[in-house]
Amino acid sequence: MEVEEGVQIDDKAKRMRDMLSSFYSSDPSSNASSLQNYTSSSSRFATLDTINTTSFDANMYMNLLVQKSNLENLLQKHVEMAAEIKNLDTDLQMLVYENYNKFISATDTIKRMKNNIVGMEANMEQLLEKIMSVQSKSDGVNTSLFDKREHIEKLHRTRNLLRKVQFIYDLPTRLENCIKSEAYADAIKFYTGAMPIFKAYGESSFQDCKRASEEAVAVIIKKLQGKVFSDSESIQARAEAVMLLKQLDFPVINLKVKLFEKLDQFLVNLDLESVELTNASVDDNELPKGGTVLDSASSAAHEASIREFVEAVRAYRVIFLDSEQQLLKLAQDFVTKHFEATRQQIKKQFRSVELLAILRVIWSDVLLISEVLPEADLPDYALQAARIVVKDYIDSTFKHLLLDISDALTKAQVRQKEGVEGEYSLQVALEASRKAVIQGSMDVLLNFRQLLDENSDLLLKLRDSIIDWVQEGFQNFFGTLDDHFLLLSGKSNSASQNLNIPEGISVLTGLVLVLAQLSLFIEQSAIPRITEEIASSFSGGGTRGYEYGPAFVPAEICRTFRSAGEKFLDLYIKMRTQKISVVLRKRFTAPNWVKHKEPREVHMFVDLLLRELEAIGTEVKQILPQGLHHKHRRTESNGSTTSSRSNPLRDDRLSRSNIQKARSQLLETHLAKLFKQKMEIFTKVEHTQGSVLTTIVKLSLKSLQEFVRLQTFNRSGFQQIQLDIQFLKTTLKEIAEDEAAVDFLLDEVIVATAERCLDPIPLEPPILDKLVQAKLAKNSEQISVS
Amino acid sequence: MQGGSTGVGYGLKYQARCISDVKADTDHTSFLTGTLSLKEENEVHLIRLSSGGTELICEGLFSHPNEIWDLASCPFDQRIFSTVFSSGESYGAAIWQIPELYGQLNSPQLERIASLDAHSSKIKCVLWWPTGRHDKLVSIDEQNLFLWSIDTSKKTAQVQSQQSAGMLHYLSGGAWDAHDVNAVALTCESSVQLWDLRTMKTTNSIQHAHVRNVDYDTKKKYMLVTAEDESGIHIWDLRKPKFPVSELPGHSHWTWTVKCNPEYEGLILSAGTDSAVNLWLVPPTSDDSALDSLVESPTRRVEPLLHSYTDYEDSVYDLAWSSREPWIFASLSYDGRVVVESIKPHLPKK
Repeated sequence: MEVEEGVQIDDKAKRMRDMLSSFYSSDPSSNASSLQNYTSSSSRFATLDTINTTSFDANMYMNLLVQKSNLENLLQKHVEMAAEIKNLDTDLQMLVYENYNKFISATDTIKRMKNNIVGMEANMEQLLEKIMSVQSKSDGVNTSLFDKREHIEKLHRTRNLLRKVQFIYDLPTRLENCIKSEAYADAIKFYTGAMPIFKAYGESSFQDCKRASEEAVAVIIKKLQGKVFSDSESIQARAEAVMLLKQLDFPVINLKVKLFEKLDQFLVNLDLESVELTNASVDDNELPKGGTVLDSASSAAHEASIREFVEAVRAYRVIFLDSEQQLLKLAQDFVTKHFEATRQQIKKQFRSVELLAILRVIWSDVLLISEVLPEADLPDYALQAARIVVKDYIDSTFKHLLLDISDALTKAQVRQKEGVEGEYSLQVALEASRKAVIQGSMDVLLNFRQLLDENSDLLLKLRDSIIDWVQEGFQNFFGTLDDHFLLLSGKSNSASQNLNIPEGISVLTGLVLVLAQLSLFIEQSAIPRITEEIASSFSGGGTRGYEYGPAFVPAEICRTFRSAGEKFLDLYIKMRTQKISVVLRKRFTAPNWVKHKEPREVHMFVDLLLRELEAIGTEVKQILPQGLHHKHRRTESNGSTTSSRSNPLRDDRLSRSNIQKARSQLLETHLAKLFKQKMEIFTKVEHTQGSVLTTIVKLSLKSLQEFVRLQTFNRSGFQQIQLDIQFLKTTLKEIAEDEAAVDFLLDEVIVATAERCLDPIPLEPPILDKLVQAKLAKNSEQISVS
Repeated sequence: MQGGSTGVGYGLKYQARCISDVKADTDHTSFLTGTLSLKEENEVHLIRLSSGGTELICEGLFSHPNEIWDLASCPFDQRIFSTVFSSGESYGAAIWQIPELYGQLNSPQLERIASLDAHSSKIKCVLWWPTGRHDKLVSIDEQNLFLWSIDTSKKTAQVQSQQSAGMLHYLSGGAWDAHDVNAVALTCESSVQLWDLRTMKTTNSIQHAHVRNVDYDTKKKYMLVTAEDESGIHIWDLRKPKFPVSELPGHSHWTWTVKCNPEYEGLILSAGTDSAVNLWLVPPTSDDSALDSLVESPTRRVEPLLHSYTDYEDSVYDLAWSSREPWIFASLSYDGRVVVESIKPHLPKK
């Protein structure tokens, strides 16, 4: 009703609002101002439509109508209007009637309500009175019955008490009966029932009874204990026995401790067995065919004992309800011990097959145990442990690989040191270490692939991680290998001071050269092959998270080893040139050049120099590829220097010893420099025999020049140098391939000597030739003698 | 990294080996250089960088009696400098004063204040204490170390003490610690010897062969930089002389000289016989964690070579930082060409 009324009110209000708004403004957008506007301009815009607006002006309308319409239209309009007016009148009348009717009916209703309310009060008072009387009667009944009820209750209590006393007197016999019929449960129920009374009155009235029943209970306890410990009883029975003992407040914990000790002992035995088992499998590996029987036998035994353990666990779980924690701990201990044993094994070098065998055994054990102990989360626990073990395994494998490679390298070093320097010792070392790298890496990968191929749950779950670890392992491995190379080469400084390379052992140049080649080999062949292998069988992974990128970045390793290769080659050259520098330094610092005697023969330092170069040649030839013979390349120059002049010009100058002209000569030199193409000396070194040798020759000659520049020569000193250089010119041609640069440098040495000479008069060419020939003859003679 | 010819050049008439910054001249950036010619009249040039830094102007040209192997400007008097010279067999060292005739050039006669003539063997170099006014001078010959007491106003030089480094150690050069007036580092064939001038004894040594040049880090105490023939540049902490703190690759041939920048820490210039000058930036390592930083260095190993100036025609034997404008250095190649460069474009952004 009310809701409807509300709706009606709402409707009404809405209608009112509509009417009001239509009254005040016919056009919602136009308001007072526009209205005025409208009236002022009405004469102009007046139409017949204004009849329905508020600004309707009858006169104007009439005028308009008369003006606009003809008679016929006017007549028609008149008829229409008359009809409309009549209609409106009728509507108005109807509205008035309806309203009046509603008013009358409302008045009627109000009158009726007034009549009905009279008399209601009296009825209410009557009702109250009646309720009061009902209440008083019920109270009366209650008081009359109270006494009797009390009496009945007292009687009832007495009876109960009597019954209890009877029960206690009967208790000993009852217990006896129960023991006889082995109904221990009943007996204990009775006994515990009587317990409160014994506690309250045991010292006085029921003393005898108490003693007797206690004796009986002691018997029961003994029997129950026996039952718990006997393995032949059913688990259910044992569990019940424990329950009963617990009800008797017997210290069950002690029992439990004893039982767990037994279980523990059992596990230790089992562990020993498992160690034996792994040993057996190691043996098995040594005897690949014959040992399998033994293996299967021992594994069967192992499985049997595990089953036994599982049974025991199951029993204990039932027997001791609160023993789970302990059992969990036991089981976890068991797994931990197992993995610990495996870890020990890993420390020795062993293959994935063995690891797999062990893991398989452990996993099956774990699965068996977890059947009875699902709460232990043993698979998870084992997974964690296996994760560590497998990671350890991978790490240790890489460690072994590193050791193998460094062994291969150091063996070469030792051999070289012992002077057993055979013709091909460096080559052998390089081959051996190359093999160690590639074969070792392949073996490692093969091993790891076996891990992946295994289908057991455990390893499947670890699969992704293993892939990551292997990739990471390789990444780290090559990093450490690089470090190790540096260490071997003696290049790494203070960071390595505490490492095991004893001080004072000079690193042999050959080893550095081997390292250079090995780095190159790793970059060019080993890495691509390993990358391929990894891509084919170790793709996937991805537990690492993408933000870190892939674990194995061959490009990075390649870069490392490329730079390492260059570094070692540089180091080799550096070490070699250092040796030569020592020879040169001795040559140039020892004599007093200003008081030098006339040259008689080519100085012996040339022999030393050539011998050094020869030694380098033999080393280089063993390892480095021949390389293309190419002439001087300009594009790869690192540094440069200039020749002061072309050969004929120099000879020309040398023949003129006029001191006055020296100044203009210097100018000439400068001028010549301006026009001369820069001659590159320090070109990039390549991993070829020629390149290395040429670089060393060039560096040595440059050093020679620098040494010369630090001295002052007399004429003889200058001639000596001239002679030596002349000799070198013929011999070095055979060694170095970049003839132009070598010639240039040799000339530079002579120029430098001339510049530093007080009296630069060269030897006559015939004398020069004669001395050089004599030296060459002597050398060849020596060779033929030896 | 081919350096374009960004530097300002200046040509000496003859070959030359040594150039020195005139530290006491606080108004101009100027350098002293001397020629090395066996047969000609040798010259000492006082050159000044024009205020715009675009030109090198000869401020003074003085004849010098012999070829100059070493030249050092006095750090507290811009008119005084020392030279080590030779003529054929004989060697000598002297302290000179530039006459008071600036800019006129009509009396190019150097005044010899004192001769350091107590030496019996080949003199290698003369050292001034780089930091300030000090009345002592160190001179080094092949076997001995001399400590001179000089008085520039009275024009006297007296040997205060002398000590032999031992017959077998051929001394080749040295440097005077800017932080410690009593510490001098001497280079010899097989090691760098650290001397205390009060006792005239070796306090310590770095066993490192073929050190050609040595320089103390003027910004950081205990830091020493050495240049070697074949094995590049090493930086040492004198408190831990067993192993270098760090190592730079150096040059394609010998690294002849190294100079630490007087203002910017870790900036090192080196010159070599491969006709190049290299500018290095050594990442600063705190004193105590020098080892730690070495361990972690692979992760942040930055290329230490900032720039290589290769626009030289011959070996570069000497360098000098300007102490007035520490971003400017002068280099001298053997063909007698002085090139002044600014390292401003290569300074690390702070």
